[in-house]
Amino acid sequence: MFNDLDPILHSQLRLAVMSLLISVKEAEFTFLKEKTNATAGNLSVQIQKLKEAGYIEVIKQFKDNYPQTICKITPAGIKAFEEYVKNLQVYLTQK
Amino acid sequence: MEQEKKLTERESLLIIQQMIQTAKQEQKDDGKGWILWGWLLFTASVLTFINLKTQWFSNNFFWNLFGIASLALLLFSTIRSLFFKKTGKVKTYTAELFQKLNIGFFISLLLIIVAINRGVSPVLGFSLLLGLYGFWILIYGAGLNFKPSIIGAYITWACAFAGLFVETFDWTMLLHATAVLLGYIIPGHLANIEFKKAHWQEK
Repeated sequence: MFNDLDPILHSQLRLAVMSLLISVKEAEFTFLKEKTNATAGNLSVQIQKLKEAGYIEVIKQFKDNYPQTICKITPAGIKAFEEYVKNLQVYLTQK
Repeated sequence: MEQEKKLTERESLLIIQQMIQTAKQEQKDDGKGWILWGWLLFTASVLTFINLKTQWFSNNFFWNLFGIASLALLLFSTIRSLFFKKTGKVKTYTAELFQKLNIGFFISLLLIIVAINRGVSPVLGFSLLLGLYGFWILIYGAGLNFKPSIIGAYITWACAFAGLFVETFDWTMLLHATAVLLGYIIPGHLANIEFKKAHWQEK
């Protein structure tokens, strides 16, 4: 029996962001942009979607007079990611 | 990356693997700390060994010099961190753990150094120091899954153990230099090579 893959995570950029954030404690927006090769606009939109789903926490602050955006995965995000990977494995083994 | 591209399950898995691998590169250490402290400790031990044979200066001359150099380095890094704050774009769990363990390491180190200055025999005191180095090297190696450091830790402990049975300080210095070479310097340089390679590949 296949469980539907989480539509929030089943998107290239959002999945990339979540995979990066699951491996670190927190990361700056610029780091995510650099590692995913996404445009700032696109990345902002996808980060907002992940935030609205409660999968990540976004902290906006100032560092040396420059705005800084820090992203952190939430416990709900970790759970969703683990579930997504589990379902993915089921899909791949059953196919 | 394109927006909302339809993904296959295999592509999803590939993205996860690639990104986790990318994040893992951030955990890599450049080994500069091991190289710097390694060479300082190695030089102090070798010069002390030579000095014990030639009697050019007082027995602890080079360790006192090392102490002054360490204080200067500490002062320099404190000033740099206070006035030129350089924070990375990413915080990793291992980096945070290492930071906290570093504090524990330096406090324990200080306790042994004070003990040596309060009358504990330097021959035994340096063995205890090596034991502590080994502990920190093993944590570093295990945390980063870096084999040269794990091997280095066991060699350092072997030197520490051997150090408990030597009679004279010149042998202690030789064991100290060997342990630092194999536990600090060589793994440090190997870590540095790996770090450069990983960042060069990323570019």
